[in-house]
Amino acid sequence: MRRALLTRANPLSKLAAALLLTLALLLTFDWASAGVALACELALLPLAGLRLRTLLARGWPILAAALVGGYGTALLAPKTGTVLLEWGPLVFTGGSLESGLAIALRGVAIGLPGIFLLATTDPTDLADALGQRMRFPHRFVLGALAAVRLVGLLITEWQTLGLARRARGAGAGAGAFGRPRASAGQGVALLVQAMRRATRLAVAMEARGFGGRERTWARASVFGAVDLGVMGGGALITTAALGVALLLGTWNPIWG
Amino acid sequence: MNDTDPTSDTIPASASAPASAPASASGRRRPREWRVVDVIVASVISVAVGVIFWAWSAGYAGIAVLTAAFPPLSGLYGGGWLIAGVIGGLIIRKPGAALYCEVLAAVVEAMLGSAFGLIVVISGLVQGIGAELVFAVFGYRRFTLPVAVLAGFVSGVFMGVHGTLTYHVAWAFEWQLLYVVLGAVSGAVVAGFLSWVGVRALSRTGALSNLAARRAHTERAL
Repeated sequence: MRRALLTRANPLSKLAAALLLTLALLLTFDWASAGVALACELALLPLAGLRLRTLLARGWPILAAALVGGYGTALLAPKTGTVLLEWGPLVFTGGSLESGLAIALRGVAIGLPGIFLLATTDPTDLADALGQRMRFPHRFVLGALAAVRLVGLLITEWQTLGLARRARGAGAGAGAFGRPRASAGQGVALLVQAMRRATRLAVAMEARGFGGRERTWARASVFGAVDLGVMGGGALITTAALGVALLLGTWNPIWG
Repeated sequence: MNDTDPTSDTIPASASAPASAPASASGRRRPREWRVVDVIVASVISVAVGVIFWAWSAGYAGIAVLTAAFPPLSGLYGGGWLIAGVIGGLIIRKPGAALYCEVLAAVVEAMLGSAFGLIVVISGLVQGIGAELVFAVFGYRRFTLPVAVLAGFVSGVFMGVHGTLTYHVAWAFEWQLLYVVLGAVSGAVVAGFLSWVGVRALSRTGALSNLAARRAHTERAL
């Protein structure tokens, strides 16, 4: 199977495109720009090799936050336009509903590029690009990469700690503060384990010559035609989103 | 805790060295320079805290609903996002530690899928600079409770101003000011005080024995 197009692009070009769109969406809040950006992002799903189902599985917190934010805004925004629903203190009007819709759409449109980036980027490629292209200090880039690899391990360790503490009868005291206190204790235990592991990791890495002044790279991080396309696409979507908002007159900058 | 790790206690602190000065492996003291172990430990702390950030952000939706009646109150929730910078600065005690940890933790949060998207990385940068400034003002020599609280406080001010400029531009000035103040208070308590207590708890277990903060639990609070 051919790898998805976005997977083959350099992480830096994807990052640049995503950042550009995010910053542009931050400048305004209106339904048109957010809607256009969201539609384009959804159209790009196949390029990222994502299915709608996988997207929902990964992005539901973003969706939930956007819906909650939209609901809150619809409830609190100035009550302009015709009243659509009045039920006790809950009043929704055309104007407030439009603001809520804009906030919800904007929330999803800002959140999605991050998911795309994550789904199509191997952390190793990102570290290679940051170290070779951006000339970030290699010890920090590779140290961060090594640590990111520990995420799965930390989660497993958290579960093991929980089981061990339960077997010992530790934690989970009575009262309203019993559970938070138990979690804090377990959190410190997890950090202790993480520290010990990190110290051992550092010794092992240093023993293999990590941390010298010069460094050679096994995989060259290169830019290609795909990257031109990705950055051009990002610029195009950004222009389209802002252009449509300006054309329709919904442009609503955050400073205005 | 278990004590099966053979490497964690192999480099004893020399008895005469002041607690704030780390001894490098070669015996020369270069307190400003990052060793490999500093880089790796800082990275691992940041990743662990990044996972916490992610959970914290997931909780923000609920807080946003609760504070919908008076949105500036949500500033009180902000302190949780500032922990990485303060805790990193307190443990590593090198220039750039607070900034590096806060940014990396934000990157991890973004990678896990945050509702704030890629903006968290910019937020992390701004908040990290806030904490870093305080440690720098004290010359990376003092890591007492007031310094930690101040680092959390300034980080909170930076967070508040940044949040105001990106999310709450439309608010009236009094509300914006209140939001910044509440964010700073939250930063001082959650990120400043709790991080300081946490670092002492960690150093008591011996887990920091290879780091500059190895004796944090015996240092004076003030």
